[in-house]
Amino acid sequence: MTFPFLTPLAFLLGLLALPILVLYMLKMRRREVSVSSVLLWQRLLRDREANAPWQKLKRNLLLILQLLLLAALMFALARPFLTVPAVARGAVIVLLDASASMSAGDVAPSRFAAAQAQVRELANGLSADGLLTVILVGRQPVVLASATRDTAAALAAVDAARPEQGAVDWEAAFALAAGAARGGTPGETTTVILSDGGLPEGLPALPGQVRFVPIGASEALGRENVGIDAFSLRATASGPELFVRVTNFGVEPQRAIVTITTGEQLVVSELVEVAPGQSASVTLDDLEDVPAAFQAQLTAPGADGGAPDAFALDDSAWAVYQPLAAGRTLVLTPGNVFLEQMLASLPGVQAFRAAPGAPLPTDPFDLYVSDSISETVAPAGAELLIVNPISTTLFTVGDVFTNTRLTRVAADDPLTRFLDWDQVSVLQARRVAVPAWARVLVDSEGGPLVFAGETGGRRVAVLTFRLQDSDLPLQLAFPVLMSNLMTYLAPAQAFSAPDGLRPGETLLIRPAGGDGAIGIDDPIGQRFQAPATEAGVLFADTDVLGLYTVVSTQRVVGQFAVNLFDAGESTITPATQLTIGQASLAATPADETGQLELWPWLAAAAFLLLLIEWYVYHRGSVPPRRVPRAGASS
Amino acid sequence: MFSESTLRRLDRLALVAQRVRAGVFKGERRSTKRGTSIEFADYRDYVRGDDLRRIDWNAYARLERPFIKLLEEEEDLAVHVLVDGSLSMGFGTGEQRKLDYACKLAAAFGYLALAAGDRLSVAVLNGETVAKRFGPARNRAFAMRLIQFLEDVPAVGDTRLNAALRDYALTGGRPGLTFLITDLFAPDGHTEGLAQLQGRGHEVVVVHVLAPEEVEPEYAGDLKLVDAETHDFQEITLDGGLRDLYHARLSDWRDEINAYCTKRGMHYVPVVTDAPWDQLVLYQLRQRGLVK
Repeated sequence: MTFPFLTPLAFLLGLLALPILVLYMLKMRRREVSVSSVLLWQRLLRDREANAPWQKLKRNLLLILQLLLLAALMFALARPFLTVPAVARGAVIVLLDASASMSAGDVAPSRFAAAQAQVRELANGLSADGLLTVILVGRQPVVLASATRDTAAALAAVDAARPEQGAVDWEAAFALAAGAARGGTPGETTTVILSDGGLPEGLPALPGQVRFVPIGASEALGRENVGIDAFSLRATASGPELFVRVTNFGVEPQRAIVTITTGEQLVVSELVEVAPGQSASVTLDDLEDVPAAFQAQLTAPGADGGAPDAFALDDSAWAVYQPLAAGRTLVLTPGNVFLEQMLASLPGVQAFRAAPGAPLPTDPFDLYVSDSISETVAPAGAELLIVNPISTTLFTVGDVFTNTRLTRVAADDPLTRFLDWDQVSVLQARRVAVPAWARVLVDSEGGPLVFAGETGGRRVAVLTFRLQDSDLPLQLAFPVLMSNLMTYLAPAQAFSAPDGLRPGETLLIRPAGGDGAIGIDDPIGQRFQAPATEAGVLFADTDVLGLYTVVSTQRVVGQFAVNLFDAGESTITPATQLTIGQASLAATPADETGQLELWPWLAAAAFLLLLIEWYVYHRGSVPPRRVPRAGASS
Repeated sequence: MFSESTLRRLDRLALVAQRVRAGVFKGERRSTKRGTSIEFADYRDYVRGDDLRRIDWNAYARLERPFIKLLEEEEDLAVHVLVDGSLSMGFGTGEQRKLDYACKLAAAFGYLALAAGDRLSVAVLNGETVAKRFGPARNRAFAMRLIQFLEDVPAVGDTRLNAALRDYALTGGRPGLTFLITDLFAPDGHTEGLAQLQGRGHEVVVVHVLAPEEVEPEYAGDLKLVDAETHDFQEITLDGGLRDLYHARLSDWRDEINAYCTKRGMHYVPVVTDAPWDQLVLYQLRQRGLVK
């Protein structure tokens, strides 16, 4: 005989009713109160028979409540259950889609909340020996619960999870799920995919059964979406050019208003009509040539100006304009055609020449290049490239050496990236004692050929030979080396992200010389901070859509935007079937038998009974407040 | 015991007995008996032997028939004030102590009687008999002694009200207007004693005194109530339900006493000691026709 209880032994708790009854029948400890007469009380209670033990039990509400409380607790601990239809049973692995499209509000309050409710339903329908694994499918999948029977803890982790604002890594999630499935009993594991679709093709098959529970509304609200999938600003010769593209990812024609603002200022507001699967664009080219951050916002046409669809993440986009920057470079040289031509050809470099001994221009330069001159005349703190040093106060220069055979090129240094020195020959070079602040980039048997470092808040790079004494200017290594050195000595921008980033993409920020630390303020006000190194700061916490501001210890370095711009996420139409491995997987009906445990309701009933008992007990223990009488009673 | 203003107001009042018994002394109140006062009552035909001085000669002149002018007799009233001095009367806090309240009422009734020239007797009942007596006294000059007597009444022992009233009925002297001030918490009851008093010709006014905490118990929970007089006890669990039952039972009890008194032609005045005692005398008893 099968009882619909998971722990029927808990009914033994019913024996506690006996001591409760005995305690009631025994004389209870009473407080003595002296009264003028007990006549009325005696008449009230009729006779002493009414106080006999078995009579006491009559109409004793407190006793009844206590027995009911005991019964509720006993039944709760016995864990009764109802059999309910369920998607899966036994060992269940849940893949909970946390991609951006799960933020869609076509099912209130959101698809992700609906998926969380599905996990709750699955967990509640799990049998007592069932194991629950929950994998949150994000950019980096996270195991929220691993083969646990503690569904409460698993559900708490699920409730705390939030959807991300970009695409997710289904391959990694499938790898995790496959590992979890292989760890369990083969053939008894069911993987349940809670998703609105958007899974990439070519996902591997999973061991055990795989079921798919589609999330999202099938009606128009769950299909229609119009979003911004491109927003950029380009610096052109005639000034900045702004471009916004609005795409209809739904199946019905859509109308929306594109509003572009910079700060509090409205730039343009334009109604666009977009056919299904088509795009409309807005282009502006009469903008001021100054750095600025722009926001594009889509709203529904009409008075309310609300969201045009159920998916809000692609209704906003940001872009940052940075004018073309050219590093002003002053070349102090008696004449070096190789150097001058190279500097002229490098992007972002505006070179000027001055004869040695001539007075320096008063305007400051980003970089001073000293070629084959005896004294460094650059202002203090200015970045410096020294070619063929004769003498300088920065380091000691010795005689000339000729054994310039290559011994080492510094590995893993950004200044030697892509640098191939094998084909370079140098006739002679000047012997230099490498100072402590510098590192050797290219070394030879006779001494260093190239070294660089930072001293006194300035960056210095040194080539210890005349370009004319080598075939370097004729080799591919020359533009590579010069480009690396110029990026190091005079970066036009600390970072480059003209088209913004996608969620999860990384950004390399190159601090200028003297920057102690780099801080990044994200759109929700959090600040990330990292020490500034020559290798740069790699920023990867770009999970939130919006504008990020980069600051150094000295100044605001700039802004960059993170936008969704993902057609896969913007196409919010819920999938009705998935392709996994070679098989097509349709939505799974709830054809398994699950167990819906009733103990939470019984526990709630017990708590309610406890409150009622407390009220009943205290109802009589607080005497009513007496109001002084104005006259005698009648 | 009394303030100056209360005394002045008491001076203007007098006790009223609806069935006044003939007094031995001439008093200051009208009697149903025809007498020799100057208050006109009625005429009757002259019969032989009547005092000729009482013929109304003016009526004879008009009607040519002799009529005797009947005048109201003014006689004194015997006023008895019986105070229950049992332990149960010692309950109540502060000025709401039942015995203090009862003594104030007794003093007020006594003062009214003395001021009206009535014959006042005050007795404190205890056990099965009268524990202390005052009077009989007549004349306002006894007022101070009356107050001193009532200021020194202890609450002791129990009161067998039936036996004590029976005892007073036998030994209390001339019947009259009798105030019984008690909480009626008597284990052997009170109806027999009241009947005895009435049987002796007393006009009985039962002033039923209860303390506020007896009307609205200030305790609750699991209790062992101990009777102060009999040391008997009653275990109760006083909750909201039982409290409501108590209110109903108290109301029934008062109604029963009222019904008994009304049926026997007695007056029943229930009073709770949080009501000002002078208002009871000056207004409530006046409304009931016991004071004018």
